[in-house]
Amino acid sequence: MGDKIKALWRKTSWAWSPESERESSEAIVKNFWLHWFPAKVARASMDWNYSFWLGTASASLLLILTITGVMLMFFYVPSTERAYGSIKDLQYAVSFGRLLRNQHRWAAEGMVAVVYIHMARVFFTGAYRGPRAVNWVVGVVLFLATLFLSFTGYLLPWDQLAFWAITVGTSIAKQAPFVGPTIQFILLGGHEIGQQTLLRFYVLHVFFLPVLAWVLFAYHMWRVRKDGGLAAVERVRNERVMAPKATPKTKSYSLFGLTPGTSVQVMSSTGLEESDQVFSSPNMSRRIALVFLVVFNITLLAAILFNAPLEGLANPSVTPNPAKAPWYFVWLQELVASTTVRFGGYTVSGALLGGILLPGFLLAVLTLWPWLDRSPLRAGGRWLAPERKRQNLTFAIATLAIIVLIMVGVYLRGPYWRIYWPGQPRPETPRLY
Amino acid sequence: MADKNESFETKDFGWMVAMSILFLVLVAVCFWLEFSTEWGGYQLEFPQLLGHYGKVEDARDFQAGIKQIWIPKIGVTDRCITCHLGYEWSSVLPATIAEPLKPHPMNDMIAKHEFAKFGCTPCHGGDGAATTIAGAHQGGTGWEDPMLSNALAAQNGLTMNEMIQMRCNFCHRHDVATPGMDEINLAKVLFKKKKCLLCHVVEARGGTTGPELTYEGDRNPELLIFTHVQGEHTMFNWNVQHLTKASAVSPSTAMPDFNFKPEESRALTLMLMSWRRLSYPPEYIPDPEVAAAAMQPSPTSTPTPTPSATPVAR
Repeated sequence: MGDKIKALWRKTSWAWSPESERESSEAIVKNFWLHWFPAKVARASMDWNYSFWLGTASASLLLILTITGVMLMFFYVPSTERAYGSIKDLQYAVSFGRLLRNQHRWAAEGMVAVVYIHMARVFFTGAYRGPRAVNWVVGVVLFLATLFLSFTGYLLPWDQLAFWAITVGTSIAKQAPFVGPTIQFILLGGHEIGQQTLLRFYVLHVFFLPVLAWVLFAYHMWRVRKDGGLAAVERVRNERVMAPKATPKTKSYSLFGLTPGTSVQVMSSTGLEESDQVFSSPNMSRRIALVFLVVFNITLLAAILFNAPLEGLANPSVTPNPAKAPWYFVWLQELVASTTVRFGGYTVSGALLGGILLPGFLLAVLTLWPWLDRSPLRAGGRWLAPERKRQNLTFAIATLAIIVLIMVGVYLRGPYWRIYWPGQPRPETPRLY
Repeated sequence: MADKNESFETKDFGWMVAMSILFLVLVAVCFWLEFSTEWGGYQLEFPQLLGHYGKVEDARDFQAGIKQIWIPKIGVTDRCITCHLGYEWSSVLPATIAEPLKPHPMNDMIAKHEFAKFGCTPCHGGDGAATTIAGAHQGGTGWEDPMLSNALAAQNGLTMNEMIQMRCNFCHRHDVATPGMDEINLAKVLFKKKKCLLCHVVEARGGTTGPELTYEGDRNPELLIFTHVQGEHTMFNWNVQHLTKASAVSPSTAMPDFNFKPEESRALTLMLMSWRRLSYPPEYIPDPEVAAAAMQPSPTSTPTPTPSATPVAR
């Protein structure tokens, strides 16, 4: 009975089933989608607890953002007169428009977080060693691309939140030594935010940055394969190479009949044993589909539960009090505010120190870290290796400091950029009537 | 090894099934959200109401869906009528029907300001694009210009009819006096009588002792100082108290204390707040002389006007 059901299922769900081993392998090799992956993948890289599949989650978010973004492009008009109205239409009149925009918004903010956590995972496992250093740098650029994708998208609704967050962001960029004003002029397409800025941010957001992200993502993946998979594989390989292996017994035919003896040991091309590996298809392809489904469900649930913020129409003459940068840049705003020094009536802006030099230094150190790390190679591919204790601690403290600054900026800062503790009454914002 | 592989498969497969089911549930929720709108119920009710009052054919022809008055030349997309379906049925539906299906009162004012030419929000305020009750009436976070409801007007010591006159004056700014705009008419009389132009520039005329008032209605309420303002921190309150006794609100001001009566201060505030940077096409701007002529038979420009007899848009 069970066999009959299985046979029926096979007949109704598959148009073709392989007749031989050769046919089944060709079915995989000839398929573009399944050919992405190596034939076999190390068991160690499939481990949930090693990578948490954060890279796959980031890529899933990029795919979700591309799909929802293209759909949003059918409705959005990048004009200062119509942008806000088209977002209102999405919110209130377009079928599933509100959910579409919500999912795009939450996936975008999620992607900034997930890409950073992915980078933190790579750092804490020391997975940027040796040839993987190049991929680390590609990863840093991908993180920056994610930040700028999110930042350029922030302006597009053309509401008060968007307008003033971009004002804060681009004013910080202006403080860069020598090139600052030029950078701001190029970003804004003028001296203040207007139609030119909206168009520039739109083109960056829907064309240049996504193309950059996808091309770098493809290169990132290719490098992972060429570098021999995840760094966790390195650990297993080292164990295999270190562990003395019994030389295989052989029997050879000599003139006098069978002669027992030993033969040379041949290692597999990957340095891994059969038992260390599983077939990519279906194991990895199924796992990737699963991670995508989990990420899609989370973003869809967020879209159902929470509405993306949308304030009043952008008004250059009414500054919200306080005007805040997007949350992932609010720590810079916080640094700018806290490094601004006042002597009596004279003010030294902290924008250069807090907004340019400090984050620039952090970014430079982050990019060059694979070459600054002097710990032994065996410290790679493992979580929190004791040989890398000090650098892991430094990274954790820096991350924690940034999180604290973000929390302060987002939750505690009130009107006039003063600190208001939870429960402390904030002065009411004056209304019209 | 076979066992290990199998555990891989069964575990992941189990999760795949669970996540797929969750996905289907979420998609179902999306559809449910899409079709359980706040306006759906009213649109079921409305054809029945029309049928009840003898308009069987109109009831049959009624098509459900988002409805809007779209007037691109004044930037109006008013979806208010998605719920307020009875708005133009005052000849059929009685005025006693509860909101939102209640018909809009018909009077001279509405006869001159057709729905198709003006929409809803130019007079009533609020967010015309919204199709939720809160979104349309309050306008959501950071929306500065809520709908001028009875409750909001009462907070400011006015009726809704009086408060709406502020928005009438967007177009009627240059009328000497306009029928039905008693508050603004009073303000215009006071403005001349107290010689405000001696100190303030309005539309390129006047003295420069005080600040220019041409676009006073566009002022950012956050730039006002509320230290000496009693009650709620609103631009309306600031203006009312400042007009009554300027020295109490801004101790260093050069403006004299006019000691206006409360209703006079409120009328002047409505006029000041109506002075916004708006661009209506010329055909929307009334001829000031026509309005003045219409005022001739009943000279209502007395200092204390009574609320107009026919309540407009209550």
